[in-house]
Amino acid sequence: MIVWLLIFFCLLLGILVGLNIPVLLPIVYAQYMSIAVLAALDSVFGGIRAYLEGSFDNTIFISGFIANTFLAAALAYMGDRLGVELYLAAVIVFGVRIFQNLGIIRRYLLKKY
Amino acid sequence: MMQNKSSQISLAIVCLVLGVMLAIQFKTTESIGEEFLPPRVEDLTQKLIKITEERDALSEEVLALREKLENVRQNDQAMADLQDELQKVSMAAGTIAVEGPGIVITLNDSTRSLKAGENPNALLVHDQDLLMLVNELRASGAEAISVNDERITAMSEIRCAGTMILVNWTKIGPPFVIKAIGDPVMLESGMLIKGGYLETLKFLGIQANIQKVDKLKIPASSRPMNFEFANPVKFTEEAKQ
Repeated sequence: MIVWLLIFFCLLLGILVGLNIPVLLPIVYAQYMSIAVLAALDSVFGGIRAYLEGSFDNTIFISGFIANTFLAAALAYMGDRLGVELYLAAVIVFGVRIFQNLGIIRRYLLKKY
Repeated sequence: MMQNKSSQISLAIVCLVLGVMLAIQFKTTESIGEEFLPPRVEDLTQKLIKITEERDALSEEVLALREKLENVRQNDQAMADLQDELQKVSMAAGTIAVEGPGIVITLNDSTRSLKAGENPNALLVHDQDLLMLVNELRASGAEAISVNDERITAMSEIRCAGTMILVNWTKIGPPFVIKAIGDPVMLESGMLIKGGYLETLKFLGIQANIQKVDKLKIPASSRPMNFEFANPVKFTEEAKQ
């Protein structure tokens, strides 16, 4: 139960910090950031799911979070250079995985409570 | 339990980072939405300013035209206006000599020796070179141009004729002296512009020299003005089209 509070609290804290620090991305990079955010979101849901299943691995989680985030942004950037809308691939893959993970988390919670 | 604790900590840190990223992205997206409007307003403002300027210029033209009309009615003034107009048109057509400040460009064939297998044409000044230079001079605001004292007019040709170059049906050869009347500074900087044609010529080894002159004279065109085929269209007919 504590983990939910922790996640919620940290997310809220992060949002508050982010809203209050005077950092604004150049418009050019906003698109890549959005893909990176999606990747990060996917990693977090994947982490929660693994945590609930008891197969959580710290190294995999942290490295996956960092690598996915940068890889997604890099992929979107490369797609822009090549004239291929590669970011769509990232959006689809991460979107599907987020929903899958959410579904598993939901089922797990329903079973538990 | 230890495993549990460290995993909670890493989850917490990652969530913190995610929160910051989300917030920044949110702010950025919001600001983009706002920034999309001002350029449009700016665009419209620019257009408005431009059109207003255009309107002002046009109304000024109306005033000038009215004044001219008034002058035409008064005969004396009309003669003076005609003289003035004739003077200007003659200068443009090159039928009278003109003088004023400007620049003198001297071109001569390259003196460097040919490398093996090189085309000897690369060392010569060609008709295209003169044409390009004359064109660049015009673009830099030259008001009158001559090549080897042949006035360049709207009817002048510059073309290759064997070993010589024809200008106004007159054969000329190197060294080529191009005179141009205009703002000397403007003309010179127009010629010396990086990546300009003169730079290319110099790169090829052609001897080129630019000199600013306070007063130079450009003769009238020697070419007779005959119009065999072209007939002027009556002003009223033209207006109908």
